[in-house]
Amino acid sequence: MNIKLVAGDAGIKRWFYQRITGIFLVVLLLVHFTIMHFIGSGETNYQTVAPRLASPYWKTFDLAFLVFALYHGMAGLWVVIDDYVHRDGWRIFIYSILVLAGALLLILGTLTIITFSPQALTVKM
Amino acid sequence: MKKNIYELKYRYHTGTIAWILHRLSGLALILYLVLHIWVIHNLDNPAGFDKVMAFLNEPLFKVLELGLWGVIIYHAVNGLRIILVDFFGGSREQKKLFWGVVVVGIIMFIAGAVPFVGHLK
Repeated sequence: MNIKLVAGDAGIKRWFYQRITGIFLVVLLLVHFTIMHFIGSGETNYQTVAPRLASPYWKTFDLAFLVFALYHGMAGLWVVIDDYVHRDGWRIFIYSILVLAGALLLILGTLTIITFSPQALTVKM
Repeated sequence: MKKNIYELKYRYHTGTIAWILHRLSGLALILYLVLHIWVIHNLDNPAGFDKVMAFLNEPLFKVLELGLWGVIIYHAVNGLRIILVDFFGGSREQKKLFWGVVVVGIIMFIAGAVPFVGHLK
């Protein structure tokens, strides 16, 4: 493996980070699917999810998952737009929406994870 | 006859097909990620969360979830193929690697589908 990144070239950095985040995502995703779907009852409700998300370790896991997945997805979309949208005005417009949407999703996801504290279930099941 | 030199033409080799499928599966996964972040934000309200999850436990969504597993498997295994091609000199073996992706992908899909189907009532 012999990789040399040329300074200042955003494209090659994106290419490189896409692969690094991809490797992380494969691992995180396999853990996620194993926990959620392969072991246990396979049932997802507040009672099964809350104890896990109350733990700081799972909060860290979920935060890493959120950041890597959002980055990887947005960077992928960036390249797709780069390939098919050639008019500068449109390109800047779509990129702006992309950055804004990414930021909002990051904020929403981060708040969901870090502000989570389990509440007693008071509703009748 | 005048020919448009900018005409977009793909020749359908295994590499092209792998690339198109990677792109399409990636777009599907972005859509899923957005929905996922949105659904999970209901966790601030236990009753609301259970209501949404009860809805998502319908058989239709279970089948879609299995489809999601398939899309993920393709994107993940083909992504690893891309890394082998880009970083570890896999380009000479890229055709064989593609069929490797197909075989490994099918095995992983079935391995994951078994507990999925087992959880269906």
